[in-house]
Amino acid sequence: MKTRRRAVVAGIVSLAVISAACSSKSSTSTGGTASTTNNGVPLTGAGSTFAAPIYTQWAKDFNAVESGAQINYQPIGSGGGIDAITKQTADFGASDAPLQTDALSAMPADVVQIPTVLGGLAIAYNLPGLSAPLNLDGATAADIFQGTITTWNDPAIAKLNAGVTLPNSPIRVAHRSDDSGSTFVFTSYLSSQSASFKKTVGADSTVQWPVGAGKDGSDGVAGYLVATEGSVGYVSYDYAVSNNLGSAAVKASDGSFVAPSVDSISAAGSDLKFPIAPDTNVLNSSTPGAYPIATTTYVIVYKSQSDQAKGQTLVDFLHWGLTTGQDTASSLNYAPLPSSIATQALAALATVTSNGQPITPSSGA
Amino acid sequence: MSPVVAAGRRPLPVGLTRSRKTKDRVFTFFLLVCVALALIPLVVIAVFVIVRGTGAINTNFFTKLPPGPLDARHTGGISNAIVGSGMIVWLAVVISVPLGMATAVYLSEYGRGRIATIVRFTANTLLATPSIIAGLVIAATVVTWTHSFSAYAGSLALSILMWPVVTRATEEVLRLVPQDLREGALALGVPRWKVVLKIVIPTAGSGIVTGVMLAISRGLGETAAILLTALGNSFMNTAYGRPTSTITLDIYTWARQPQATLQELAWGGAITLMTTVLVLSITARIVSIRRQRRLA
Amino acid sequence: MVGVTVTTGILLVGVLGVVLAVLATGGASTFSKFGLGFLTSTRWDPPHQEFGALPFVFGTLVTSFVALALSVPVAVGLAVLLNEPISMRITGPLATFIDVLAAIPSVVFGLVGLFVIAPWLEQHVEPVLHTVVGWIPVVGSLFPVLARNEQGRIVGAGGDYFVAGVVLAIMILPIVTALSREVVATVPRELREGAKALGATRYEMVRLAVLPYSAQGIAGAAFLGLGRALGETIAVSMVIGGGSSLGASLFAPGQSIASAIASQFNGATNPLQRSSLLALGVILVALSFGLAALSKWFVGRGMRRMDVSSADPVDPGPTQQVTAEAA
Repeated sequence: MKTRRRAVVAGIVSLAVISAACSSKSSTSTGGTASTTNNGVPLTGAGSTFAAPIYTQWAKDFNAVESGAQINYQPIGSGGGIDAITKQTADFGASDAPLQTDALSAMPADVVQIPTVLGGLAIAYNLPGLSAPLNLDGATAADIFQGTITTWNDPAIAKLNAGVTLPNSPIRVAHRSDDSGSTFVFTSYLSSQSASFKKTVGADSTVQWPVGAGKDGSDGVAGYLVATEGSVGYVSYDYAVSNNLGSAAVKASDGSFVAPSVDSISAAGSDLKFPIAPDTNVLNSSTPGAYPIATTTYVIVYKSQSDQAKGQTLVDFLHWGLTTGQDTASSLNYAPLPSSIATQALAALATVTSNGQPITPSSGA
Repeated sequence: MSPVVAAGRRPLPVGLTRSRKTKDRVFTFFLLVCVALALIPLVVIAVFVIVRGTGAINTNFFTKLPPGPLDARHTGGISNAIVGSGMIVWLAVVISVPLGMATAVYLSEYGRGRIATIVRFTANTLLATPSIIAGLVIAATVVTWTHSFSAYAGSLALSILMWPVVTRATEEVLRLVPQDLREGALALGVPRWKVVLKIVIPTAGSGIVTGVMLAISRGLGETAAILLTALGNSFMNTAYGRPTSTITLDIYTWARQPQATLQELAWGGAITLMTTVLVLSITARIVSIRRQRRLA
Repeated sequence: MVGVTVTTGILLVGVLGVVLAVLATGGASTFSKFGLGFLTSTRWDPPHQEFGALPFVFGTLVTSFVALALSVPVAVGLAVLLNEPISMRITGPLATFIDVLAAIPSVVFGLVGLFVIAPWLEQHVEPVLHTVVGWIPVVGSLFPVLARNEQGRIVGAGGDYFVAGVVLAIMILPIVTALSREVVATVPRELREGAKALGATRYEMVRLAVLPYSAQGIAGAAFLGLGRALGETIAVSMVIGGGSSLGASLFAPGQSIASAIASQFNGATNPLQRSSLLALGVILVALSFGLAALSKWFVGRGMRRMDVSSADPVDPGPTQQVTAEAA
């Protein structure tokens, strides 16, 4: 009996030792990039699945710059991000859509919305064997997502894709079931292109979709698209590329069909207007070659940071992201902010204070 | 009168007629089908978890953090989740095992009357509580009040689930301790509390250990309670006050990602988890069989 | 010692009290706003502050009933088999395998369900079901024809009620089997052997001697399994397809109460949505506890009928019940 008790105690002790040992193991760092003067503290961010890949990569890269800064980003959807920052369960929120009036008024204190990168919402599809990329226009897309067009070889689609054989199979629509900034952006676009869509579905971060399977997160939709032939859905362009899904070329205001790409998304960025208002968007950009369904994605932080150390790390991270981090954007199929926009974003960041004093980024960030 | 006839059916025909034989054969076939249906899922699960899981295991798997979007395959791992699972379950054990045992001691040694009935009813009710409810309750209270997802919130949710498990297992084992042992000691003038502490519990010893191992097994396999409380963390975390990942949570998140890099980590996590849980269950079983042999 | 242990007992009661209080107060605003309409409305529309629980209640009930329909017959068969005087070399390992099935964590069921079971069911089993029962007037509409793409492959929905029901059936099989086995074990040997001595075949012995007497106990086992199936979250959410609307058939995607809470709570932006999710928790808890109580009552009656006296109706041992509940 004594031996058994000893064994149990030994087990508990060894577990404690292991956890202590693991805590001293530092996280993997990538190469010798310059470090800042600030060590950094762990932070939690939550929100958009659309932007998850870039923030996750930035978190890893920034950890090499400030070794104490572990930016834990949880992609729970833009709605979850807004909720998290409102309830202060996260240090920053991430959303693809600007805060709407009711969300703004629910904030306990002033917030700053900082655009970080440009992204495109791809109308992604799974049609193996299609001889050319699919062309769509806003009205047709609206009909597909409303369920009034149900097969791929529908005349409306065929008209836009002369010379391409479209399969005679049902269109399986996928949409977001969670509170999503991507949904907000996409439904805003479709509502601007189709009066019937605006009336039946409307533009919001969650809507009652007439047809289709509801999935959580951009990854959920992408997963469905990968597994289901004949499916179509809206995801961040990055997800479409990394999962080998087709992305439709969308008809722009000048009549040409523009496929999402780093360049076409980037071209739309110059439309971004400060200050960020509830209806700020870069949809239907008139810039030639711009992708019509582009969007910025925002990080939401409190203007007045109560925790000095956290505030400093946060400012360092965002400053780094808006400068050095922009280089990683294109390799992940996002577009860096145009320099004029980045400057204004940095200016917005500069308004973040702690104890009444503006927080300046540590040198090297 | 034999119950067969008394069952109200008409008496069986004399002799083993063809139709009776056929019905019996069909029934036997049905029984075999049942066995197959019970075993096939297990085999399928085992095969797939082993095949896809071992393909994901390498040293990186146990030592590195989860990969980022630009990382190559087989370079990432679930080191943070392994630590997280250990942390959260360990604290849950520290909370629920002493409490669970004490409750069991109360029910088995002292409990008579109304309070005991209520406590026993509560234990059975909590045992039937879905784990998502435990997570939901802690999320609505602790997480909201502290403005933070945290490892200890996860442990609290697990404790709600593990406490009745430990109580039930311990109580059953304590009940099996022969009453003569207690009465003999009491007759010799040993105070009640000493009888419980020095005689009853040690006799039940390995049975209690079995119960604890099963509770740990359950805690390690938990996902729903952790999802709403500990949230998850892509970095290594050893602070109880911060969001933490567990193996189960990572499997759940990555299984639904389209990237093959992450899906294979999910399978690797599955085989790690299954091996641990099975080792614990088998050990618990061996301990309990040895015990029964000794007591028999 | 008494003092200490009594305190922990009371603490336990306090914990249950807290659980119920949090759910009730959290869900109060939803119930006061929608009343019983919450249970009958099918509209779950967060931005418009409309919340109806029916799609999720439906999903929970449908998947659980499919799980019961599939697992109870198998469990009874296994229970009968395990009580037959066949050599221990067969029943021993069989019982062990069922125990192992009980120890598998829910998320692993979900993983295998998502990548292996769901595609197989959607491609091979569901079309067959449609062919076999799809023509029956009312019931057949539950098994509709599935769309195929050009190559003839079924266009899957990534999960549906039926797949979730099947996965649940596998998950609750161990616990229903364990309890059924104990119930069948209490049929007096004289009854069984008497029947055999009179020349009954095994089938007749089971049908005439075993089943009538264990019927209530088996019902209790079924209720226990049902209670477990209701609360199962993770595996179900991985194979049920998703979405907030009422599925039109068994082959449609949907959500259960538990999976809806799991996928929405962390992102619930408005207080009414939060409250509605807690209200869903109230419904779930009411169903689970109610079924657990029903189960105990039936098993108790089954036992008492056999004249087996026990203050506490038999429950499966710790091995079965506790490891089976990790979700």
